[in-house]
Amino acid sequence: MPGLIGADGFREVSEAALALGGVDGVEVVFMHDWGGLTRFAGSEIHQSTFREDTELRLRVVSKGRVGVAATNDFTSAGAVRAAKSAKEMAEIVAPDPLWPGLAPRADVAPVDRYHAGTAEASPEARAAAVAALIGRCAPGFTAAGAYETQAVEIGVANTQGQFCWSPSTVASVTTVMSGGEQGSGFAEVFSADMDAIDPGAIGGRAAAKAVASQSPRALDAGVYPVVLEPAATATLVGFLSWMGFAGRGYLEGRSCFSGRQGERVAAPAVQLWDDGADPRTLGASFDFEGVPRHRVDLIKDGVFIDAVYDLRTGKEGGVASTGHGLPSPNPEGPFPLNVFMGTGDATVEEMIRATERGILVTRFHYSNVVNPMESTITGMTRDGTFLIERGEIVGPVRNFRFTQSILGALSDTTMIGREAELASEFFFSASRVPAVKIEAFNFSGVSDH
Amino acid sequence: MLDVARMAVDAARRAGADFADARAGIDETESLTVRNQEMEGIDRTTSAGVGVRVLVGGRWGFAATSRLDEAEVVRTAQLAVAIAKAAQRLPGEPVVLSPVEPVVASWRSDVREDPFLVPLEEKVALLMEATRRMQGVAGVSFAEGALDFFRRSTWFASSDGAAIDQVVTHSGGGTEAVAVGDGDMQRRSYPNSFRGHVKAAGYEHIRTLGLIEEAERIGREAVDLLNAPDCPSEITTLILDSGQMELQVHESIGHPIELDRVLGMEEAYAGSSWLSPGDGGKVRYASDLVSVTADASLPGGLGSFGYDDEGVPAQRTPIIVDGIFQNFLTNRETAPVVGQASNGTSRADGWSHLPLIRMTNISIEPKAGSLSEIIGDTKDGIFMTTNTSWSIDDKRINFQFGCEMAWRVRDGKLAELYKNPNYTGLAPEFWGACDAVGGREEWVVWGTPNCGKGQPGQVGRVGHGTSPARFRNVQVGVR
Repeated sequence: MPGLIGADGFREVSEAALALGGVDGVEVVFMHDWGGLTRFAGSEIHQSTFREDTELRLRVVSKGRVGVAATNDFTSAGAVRAAKSAKEMAEIVAPDPLWPGLAPRADVAPVDRYHAGTAEASPEARAAAVAALIGRCAPGFTAAGAYETQAVEIGVANTQGQFCWSPSTVASVTTVMSGGEQGSGFAEVFSADMDAIDPGAIGGRAAAKAVASQSPRALDAGVYPVVLEPAATATLVGFLSWMGFAGRGYLEGRSCFSGRQGERVAAPAVQLWDDGADPRTLGASFDFEGVPRHRVDLIKDGVFIDAVYDLRTGKEGGVASTGHGLPSPNPEGPFPLNVFMGTGDATVEEMIRATERGILVTRFHYSNVVNPMESTITGMTRDGTFLIERGEIVGPVRNFRFTQSILGALSDTTMIGREAELASEFFFSASRVPAVKIEAFNFSGVSDH
Repeated sequence: MLDVARMAVDAARRAGADFADARAGIDETESLTVRNQEMEGIDRTTSAGVGVRVLVGGRWGFAATSRLDEAEVVRTAQLAVAIAKAAQRLPGEPVVLSPVEPVVASWRSDVREDPFLVPLEEKVALLMEATRRMQGVAGVSFAEGALDFFRRSTWFASSDGAAIDQVVTHSGGGTEAVAVGDGDMQRRSYPNSFRGHVKAAGYEHIRTLGLIEEAERIGREAVDLLNAPDCPSEITTLILDSGQMELQVHESIGHPIELDRVLGMEEAYAGSSWLSPGDGGKVRYASDLVSVTADASLPGGLGSFGYDDEGVPAQRTPIIVDGIFQNFLTNRETAPVVGQASNGTSRADGWSHLPLIRMTNISIEPKAGSLSEIIGDTKDGIFMTTNTSWSIDDKRINFQFGCEMAWRVRDGKLAELYKNPNYTGLAPEFWGACDAVGGREEWVVWGTPNCGKGQPGQVGRVGHGTSPARFRNVQVGVR
């Protein structure tokens, strides 16, 4: 099993590139990742993989002109070759009038997100976990999904003297159980430490959903109250992060928050913030420019506070970087990757009891933007959609298509779960969010299953 | 690099693999983005490594590394064998591969002008001028131009004796004008959205695109959209241009015909399919007008190659003939389920990933007539162009697409302009309501270089030849 290259190993390889002559600045971003994934379908392990790769991403600055080159040749010679290629590009292009300079030297608070047991997980250990999960499958049902263990070390060094390095791990289990008469059930979990994951419990959750989802009935499209479990909440939060809180779009008037600083945009109970330094999230506590991450309030008591910035958009907006730089070049600009939604005081059961007639959604699928200025997205429900009547789940329903403004949904949020969990969205990284109850949610169509 | 692949195969066999294949590879990219005549990004990447796939006791194992010294390659091959052995912990049917004749061959995609050798200055100048012309249109807030070049070199070896080296080169470019005002934002893209038109070709493709010549029109259309009303909500006749047809074919035909999805192998992530393994030759997928072909030999297609990543030769396979579904996309593992040999669609996202069934070039066969003739033959309806958004359910039935721009069609002519158009439908009903498909003169080979599938996530590069088409009774203007 591969191991950490380490801060010293990164420093040694980066030094030759940082010494490149005839330029004003050099930045080296280092990523080394490895991990295994045991994938299963039909209750059999059908694809098991392992991969290890490194990347050195060189950003070279010459008179305000910037070039970038990346290589997976993790040697001093490879780093220098990439730096020279980046320099060649920088010498051709026009100066960037918004070039902010490289990140200054700054201390980064260490976070402990590296678990050796997860980094060194064997294929046998993953297979055993998958067997435990599949063991919870109900008779007549099968399980599909994946158990993944990953390790990554990230480093940033630049000629301003900034040097930071951080290792982290993540283990994740996702499963869909299906069978019988069309029903299916979903469950997933993420943790930096695979020992914190109980695969049998995940299997149990999905199995219960699958059994309860049998023979769904068709319900008319329309506006319903909904109870969203955390995986569904994560879709709303993930898309809002990307198309709303992204600093570049915000500054350019392309965000649903543009010009709305200090305005109420959600129910007063809604709190959203980003905090890459919080031990309950994943990844490094600095961004890909070497700027430390910290808590950034996005929506506080339902009021929009601010977007997030990297060095360049920070200069454009006259504010400091909030530590959201992504690997360069990045024409899209920064957006939050470690979003938290504040918890409330309700359980999912209490939300259901408080619903006269509505829909319980386990998760959404393949969502996409309809109108970014209105924060409207569309997508499907999947793997556990239920009708609630008079405070009780009365049975499964066929999957709905939704077309809904996210800010509209957050404005109609009346109950928030007392516990948050890391949940992923198809296109984005995981955010830590609770279940929510929304009084009006627009289902614009119905599928046949 | 062929020696590296062979070294991995030999090491896997020594470690106990019943079968092994390996791909050593080098991926190279170059990307340029200009915005408002300023350089937004210019970068080059290279990535090299080897991935080895093994069968042990009928179970797969796969491992990949970027370290190409002998000790690391051998260790990686041994790890692949250990992974396959671990998979035997759960019972299951052993993998049986359909036969393939091992070949020794070389293949190169057609390139007349190597895009990596064209001076950067020339590329930058092209994008600067295109964005300058878009910016010259009053009301354009942002003008962006992009060029992307991709080259994948692969050396494939198998324990059956295959030895294949291939190089594919792709080039793409496009422009985008954005108008922002009064709480609204509208964009127009050319020749297609999401960084333009990508083909298996060299820089000669970029020279044909007309990025500078079309820049002012794109800018004007973005500004015009700001002042247009929203597309009305109604059930009507819908005409799609060739560019939007690309994604319509991709999402609602290309993915559901992948046999691994049909068999549930992708169920937990991207989803499955509304088709069943026994549906070939039996299920009506579309109207009689619709015939669809998978063709890995299509010139210019991103899904074109000499051999797939299992060493199976490129093939042309009928998918839908006169509206009746015929064949799935298969690989060596799944083809025996439907009693066939692989039709050669197994591809990986480079050396570090396991090959999966991927679309090759999934194209709707051209019929007759131009776009203007289809519009001229329509009494009332909506014409939409250029994709902005896509969403489809896990069985690939219920879809919703958004486009950049639409017009009312009235008495055979384009009338009012609409912004924010979208439409929704159920795949078999929608395709069953197709009553016009444009002719060869409107047929364009588009590229989709960002098709996501698999865990860990892989990005596939696939192609689609499409003409404009017309569909009856479609819900547009979804609110």
